[in-house]
Parts: sequence; C-alpha cells; structure tokens
Amino acid sequence: MGNPYMDNTTHEGEWKRGSAELLILSLVEARPRHGYEISKLIEQRSGGKVRFHVASLYPLLYRLEQRGWIQGRWVEKSGQRRRRYYRLTRHGRKVLASQLRGWREFVAGINRITEPENA
Amino acid sequence: MPDWKPEIVRRLASLHLAPAREGEIADEIAQHLEDRYEELLASGLTGDQAFSTTIEELKDSDLLARSLRSVAKEKYSESVPSGQVTRSFFAGLAQDVRFAVRMLRKSPGFTIVAVLTLALGIGANTAIFSVLYAALLRPLPYMQPNRLVTLSEPRSVAQDPYWDSSYPDYQDWAKQSKTFASMAGFSNDAFVFRSNSELRLLPGAQVTTNFFSTLGVTPMLGNNFPADEDIAAKEPKVALLTYGFWRDQFGGDPNIVGRSIELDNTSVTIIGVLPRNFEFPPLGNTKIWVPLHLGADLADLAQRRSLRWLRVIGRLGPGVTPTTAQTEMDGINARLAAAYPQANADIHIHMLSLRERVVGQVQPVLLILFGAVGFVLLIACANVANLMIVRAASRGREFAIRVALGASRGRLIMQVLAESLLLSIAGAALGFLGAFWGTRLLIAAIPDQLLYSMPFLRDTQPNAAIVTFLCGLTVLTGILFGLAPALQLLSGKVGDALKEETRVTAGGSHTRLRDALVVIEIAFSLVLLAGAGLAVESLSALLRRDPGFQTHNLLTFAVNLPDASYTKDPDYIRFDTEFTSRLRGEPGVVSIGNTSIIPLTGGGNTVRFVIRGEPVEVGKEDESDIRDVSVDYFSTLKIPLIEGRYFNDEADSATAPKHAIVNQAWAKAYLHGQDPIGKSFRFTLSATQPYREIVGVVGNIADAQLDSHDEAALYVPFDQDANSYINYVVRGAGNPAVLLGEVRDALTQTDPQLFPIIPLTMEQIIQQSPSVFMRRYPSYLIGSFAMLALLLASIGLYGLISYSVSQRTREIGIRVALGAQRSDVMRLVLGQGAKLTAIGLIVGIAAALGLTRLMGSILYGVTATDPLTFILVAALLALVALAASYIPARRAMRVDPMVALRYE
Repeated sequence: MGNPYMDNTTHEGEWKRGSAELLILSLVEARPRHGYEISKLIEQRSGGKVRFHVASLYPLLYRLEQRGWIQGRWVEKSGQRRRRYYRLTRHGRKVLASQLRGWREFVAGINRITEPENA
Repeated sequence: MPDWKPEIVRRLASLHLAPAREGEIADEIAQHLEDRYEELLASGLTGDQAFSTTIEELKDSDLLARSLRSVAKEKYSESVPSGQVTRSFFAGLAQDVRFAVRMLRKSPGFTIVAVLTLALGIGANTAIFSVLYAALLRPLPYMQPNRLVTLSEPRSVAQDPYWDSSYPDYQDWAKQSKTFASMAGFSNDAFVFRSNSELRLLPGAQVTTNFFSTLGVTPMLGNNFPADEDIAAKEPKVALLTYGFWRDQFGGDPNIVGRSIELDNTSVTIIGVLPRNFEFPPLGNTKIWVPLHLGADLADLAQRRSLRWLRVIGRLGPGVTPTTAQTEMDGINARLAAAYPQANADIHIHMLSLRERVVGQVQPVLLILFGAVGFVLLIACANVANLMIVRAASRGREFAIRVALGASRGRLIMQVLAESLLLSIAGAALGFLGAFWGTRLLIAAIPDQLLYSMPFLRDTQPNAAIVTFLCGLTVLTGILFGLAPALQLLSGKVGDALKEETRVTAGGSHTRLRDALVVIEIAFSLVLLAGAGLAVESLSALLRRDPGFQTHNLLTFAVNLPDASYTKDPDYIRFDTEFTSRLRGEPGVVSIGNTSIIPLTGGGNTVRFVIRGEPVEVGKEDESDIRDVSVDYFSTLKIPLIEGRYFNDEADSATAPKHAIVNQAWAKAYLHGQDPIGKSFRFTLSATQPYREIVGVVGNIADAQLDSHDEAALYVPFDQDANSYINYVVRGAGNPAVLLGEVRDALTQTDPQLFPIIPLTMEQIIQQSPSVFMRRYPSYLIGSFAMLALLLASIGLYGLISYSVSQRTREIGIRVALGAQRSDVMRLVLGQGAKLTAIGLIVGIAAALGLTRLMGSILYGVTATDPLTFILVAALLALVALAASYIPARRAMRVDPMVALRYE
C-alpha cells in the first residue's frame, strides 16, 4: 500500500490514508507547490513526526491527480530546473472542505467520547 | 552530482509504462532526490552520507513500483492493497453484507416497505414469466419439436383457423412429398363409456397409425399402433390411454396392456399407455386414442376431396427448411388443382409450425401481460430507489465521515449496492412464494374449456428456467434501484451531504434525480392505466355487443344418437320430434330448437354453392357457413326474421321441396341487392344436389365468436338434412341451469341410453369463450398492475413532496414571516407536485400512444389511441397525484414561522 507506515487493517488503513490525502490537499490549497516542497512542509509543520518517502509521496500525488482533486503542471522558472507544481482543482476544493469537516466532526466526536464525564 | 534517473527507471521497469510517462515520473522524482541531496550537503553531510540518506527515500527496491501500480489500478480496486486483491475483495464484501444487514435492521420501516414493494414487482414478474415460459418457451414434449409443422388447405385467410384437409389430399401429399420425413392426420372423436355405472362421453381422438411416430412419442407401457391401417373399420379394435386417464380410471394398473374396455358398446383392447408428459394441445382433453376408422362414413370422408375434416401434421425431413417444403407443397397443390379443379382449384396449402398453431392465440396476450408487468417492476424499482436516495441523504453524515476517514468511493458504492442487493434478494424470496401462489391463480383464472387447448399451462412448476429468470431479475433489480444512490456517491456529492442537511431550500442534483424517478413512475403508471383502460373498454364493448340473439335464459347441450340404434335420417327426426315434444311440456321450458353448431362455440361447416342463373367457373364457387336448424331454432334464440318466413313443420318437412333461409350478410354478399325470397341455389358437393329455394332472411348473429364479423350463413331445415349428433338450445322462463334435470328426464324417457353432453348455459359459453377470455384476462391483470402502479407512484410522489416540505421548513417559515399567505404556501407545495405530475403525464401519454398499439390484437370496439380512455386515465392519475401532494401541503401550511426559524 501507499503509506509504508500503515498497517493493513481496513479501518486503520482508511483512516491513515484519508489523513495523508487531507494533508496534501490542505497544503496545496493556498498555492501550487511541488513535491519536494510538500514533503518538506509536512515534515516541518509536524515537527518531524510525519514524513513521506518518495516512494509513497509521488504515488499518492498521482492518485489524487488521477481523481481530479489536484492538477500537476511543469513550470520552468529562470535559473532553476523545471519542476512539477500541484494545485487544488475545484473538485479537490470540495473534497477538502468535506474531508476537513468530516475530520473535525470526527475529532470532536472523539473528544466528546474521551472527555471526562460530568466535567 | 549523482545521476538518479537510472536508479529510478530501474525501479519503474516492471510497470511497463509508456516511455513518455516513465520519463516524466523519473524527471520529477530525480528532481526531488536532487533537492534532498543538495539540502543534505548544505547541512554539512559528506557526499557519500548525503547520497546514502537520499537513496534511502526510495526504500526497498520495489516499493515505488508497487505503489504506482496500485495507483494505476485505482479505478477498479481503489482501497485494496495490491497483492491481496482477492482476499480483501471478499473480506470487504462479507463486511459490506454484514454492515448492510445491520443498517437495514436499524430501519425496519424502510426495509419492510422496500421488501414488500420489490416482492410485489418480482413476484408478479415471475408469475407471468412462469406462464409465458410454459406457453411460449418450453419445448413441446416431442422429438425435435421444431421440425413439426401443421398443414391445411384453406381458400382464404379467414378459413385458416379451421386447419383441416380432405383425406384424399392428405394421402396425395404424403405420397408425393419428398421433403417430409412423415405426415400424419388426426380428428377428434368421442366414445360413450361406462364408469361407475354412469354413462359418460369420453373425449377421444382418431389418428393415422403413424401419428405418434411422427411426433416421436413412444408409449410408456405397451406399444404404438400397428402400422397396418384399416380405415374402413366400423369400430376401433385397439386403443392407447393417456397417462391421466390410466391413473384416474384404472388406478395406474401396471397390467393394463391387453385388457379390454367397452367403448360405444364395442370391446376395444388397450395396447398401451402414453407417457406422463405427453400432451397434444389441439386435442388437449383427449383421454383415449384409437386408429382412424371411418366405418359407415367411409365413402364420404375417405373419398370426397372437397370434404375437409382431417387435421394434418408433418415432420420435416433432415435438413429441409420450411421454405423448401412449402415450395414442394405448392407444386403438389398445383398438380392436384389441375387434376381436381372442382375441389382444389381455389385452395392453397398453408404450412404453420405446430408451436405457432398451438400458442398463436394466447401469445399476444401473454406478451402484452409480460410487458405490462415489466412496467410494474420498473415502477417498484423507481420507488425503492427514491427511498434509498432519501436514506442516503439522511445518512450523508455517515458517508461524509467515512470518506473523510479515507473510505474510497468504490467502497461506499459497494456498500450501497450490498444493501440494495440484500433488499432485492429478500424481495425475491418473498416474491417467489407470491409467484408460486400467483401462478396458480393465473392458471385457475383460465376457463376449463380453454385450458384443455393449452394443457402446457398446467406445467408451471418452478423449474431451472424460472429460477434463472428470478435470479437474473433479482440482481438486475438490485442494481437498478441501487444505481441511483450509487450514482449520487459517484457524482462526488458525498461531502455536500453534510451541508445539505442544513440547507434551507430544496434543490441540487439528488433532488433532480428523485424528481426524475417520480416523473418516470407517473409516466409508467399512465402507460399501464391506458393499457388497462383500453382492455377494460374492449371487454365491455365486447360484452355489450348485441350478438343478434338473446343470450340469457338459454341452456345448451348435445345428444349423440348411437349408430347401433339410429341409422338413418328418419330415425334422427323421430328422436328429435319425440324428445322435444316431451321437453316442451315441462314447466319452465319456453321453447326448444336444434342446430348443427351452437353459436359462439366456434367451428362449423361451410358449403360451396352456385346461384341459379349465375354460372361460376368450376372450383371457384362461393362458400359460406351452413347450419342445419330445426323449425323452432330461430324463435328459440330470438333471431329476428327480416323477410319471408321461418321454417315450419309442413312446408319444410323431409319430403317437402328443399328450402333454405339465409342471413342478411349472405344476401348482401351474394345477391347484390336482389330480393332473396324466391331465389334458389344448389350445393356443388355433388352433381345430384337439387336447387333450394330461399324462403326467408334472418338477422346476422355473432356465430363463431362474440367478436366475429358478420359472416354469411345459410340455414337448411333439420328435417331435410338431419344428423345423429344434435345440439339443442332450450329457452327457459328463468334460470336455464335448473332445466337440466328436466332435460335428463326427458332424454331418459325417450331413450334410456342417452344423456346430455356438455350442458352449458349461453352465459357460461360466453364467459368461457376465447374471445371474452382474451379481453377479460388482460383487463383484470393489467387493471391490477395499473392499480398497483398507481399506488406505488402516489406513494413515490407523496414521499418526495413530504421530504421536500420537511427540507423547506425554514424557507416556508421565512416566507410566512415575510407575509406569505397559507394559500401561497399551499400553492407552492401543490405546484411542485403538479409540475412533476404534468411532466409525467406528458411523457406517459407519449409513451402510451406508442405502446398501446402493441395491444391491437386484443382490442375490440376501441382504437389503441382512444382519446376518451387517455383523458380519463390521465385525469384519474392527476387526481391521485394531487391527493398525494395535498397531504404534505397541508402540513406545510401549518408551519409556524417561529418554530421553523429556530430550527437552525
């Protein structure tokens, strides 16, 4: 499977891959980014807790691209080699919105459950 | 700077990508690795350290390829880890099914409604299919049944239903034809048989001795008829029994072969028992089969070429096509016409497959019913799909969360389909029980007299074909109504489900889909209602038809005078005089007459004639129905006299000059406006026929069937052309059925060995007649289907409008708060229902106009596009739709703006 750090039980699998997709979609929401930039941002913002290897990052990007959620485009900037930048599509924006909402609901639900009762 | 590309390309090799695609991936990943490498160098690592850390990104040697491969496969098995495809698929399926069961149990109301709706749809379809299969698809129980054809020699299409030939023609065909492996003939017969000391008439058949070998049927016990044919025999010497008769009458005696029984007071040896599955629809009620024996009638039946009475079947030779055989028969026919112009100049040989001959009449009805019941299933599917969409919408939160957690769309679709399939399987299980019961009902609704000619319909037990049909239908149904909610998921609106719950106005794609489903339901209901309307209108037009005589208070039966005691016309006349005068004296009997054919029972003889002074080319003479009737026949049936006089005892006795009465159709067809009275004609069946003078003209009657056109008919006095098989019509003062006792008594007093054969009232004859059955059956069935459709469609519309009102509570609240009147709210909601209904009606009328044409063959007295029927059913549907929208509209009217606005 895509993510080397996930196990194969279905729910756990769905859970983690879902969150990986969510991370990528939210990172390309503000502006287009290339693969290396995405992996650096994930690493930095998670304080090194989450890391994507090349062998899992790019297949995931291609998967999202295939679904039409993001779109990659080769860009050549002066003095640099050409890079592939990924931007969020309209469809991807909707998916992101719903995934975020679902995620927040989920977290809220988990919180409600794990809150000490009669607080 | 290391070159990363070769390393990457090596890892991609197993994917066999297009070179351009492979290059792009390698470029992009190489760029990434380069960035990483430079960054590591910048952080102070040595070149070697930086290289090994970077290459670590690619992890084990084939991870990249594996991951990419699963991307390529995504559209087929999105969430399935590669390498575990099969196991996970089934594990996932089992999980889906378990989950589906749980979800369905959580909403029993939805589940019950859905399962019942589907059970009705699937059950009705399976029941109709069972009958259709038995009638149209199941092979006839003969060897290579598709090689069997029937042969007849009609003059015109109108004569074709009679399916008969003369014996000399049959012999010539069999002798001269090379394309047939064999040809055989048969004719019905009946025997007086004593069972449990009671005399009864046993339906039987006379067949040429090769009849069963032509069909490819071998007796289950004993032997077939010996090949030597003695058609001159007066009585049969041997007989074959049907399985049912052997079982019921002889207790299935295994030693029956060789035993003798009495038929018509003659001893006949049983030589065999036919197989259990043997049936011969043209003689469906036959209990006993004997070789052809013409006895006293030999001279007429075996030698007169113009006397067509034998029904012929043939088995095509190996490799012979029907066209080749027809061509050969046409040649034979031309030779016979040249040799025997008087009898054969004007006929042609008509070949029709045995199957078509047997099921031709019932086929259109069954196909119409099958089409109609298919619409019921489609409507049921649309209804359940609608329920599923509402459910899917209310489960939007569940789906959205699952997507957010990474559940693939494919997985959710599987989930929805698992639920719909589970529902359709439950519906099918229930429907199958219903179908079993429904099939029996369908068969029971067929009158006995008709069922005799369709014995195959008794065989509607569930079999492999029906179960296959049921399974196919179940899966198809499950997918069909699961598709709508699944499409909803595919269209990427899952996330929106969360939003939709708080949305104040209804709209969006899933509402459009639901609208479309309701429109379809209304349209299909209209098609069924129009079909039902036309069928009912045909039935009532047929039953309203004036058959030209008064049908109530009439009892009919036949009497067979045995050859042993009654040999000549004077014997028959003497019996008739004695019996009728005895019966006429009984209380309750108004009058009594006899005829060679009871009206509305089909069949009957025709005769060729020439009118005096109007010579006709030999063999081209006109031909019309002929009936031998007694003096009181017309007055008993109340057939009006138009001109001249009825027959009477003095002027039309056996010794008086030959006279005839014709009907109006006859006078119109053959006398071209001349006054019929005093005209005379003679029959051309022999050179010695005398001229007969026309003494009266009577009204036309519906003769063969209630829907028959007015056929030309001529009548001759019974006393001038008597028969030993006499059909009686008795008019009673009241219920004619009660006269049967008097009839029996009068018969026994006249001759103790006689008994009434097939006693039926005229009302019974009409109710059991094929023409009425062909309209009543579809009327009732399409009518029930249409009512079911109407119910389902109104539930669908009601559900849609109710849901929409509940969704628009806030909008309505705002409108009311802003000053909208209750009537405005009512108009708003009713308007939504009215719009859908109007579209449904338009689509439905367009579809119905096209589809009702297919009913042409069963319509009577009404056209397939009868405006009145269409207007009435559209109005009915509109009314029901209005009622279905009115209930939720009232609810909307009561919306309290304060409560509605507080909702959020």
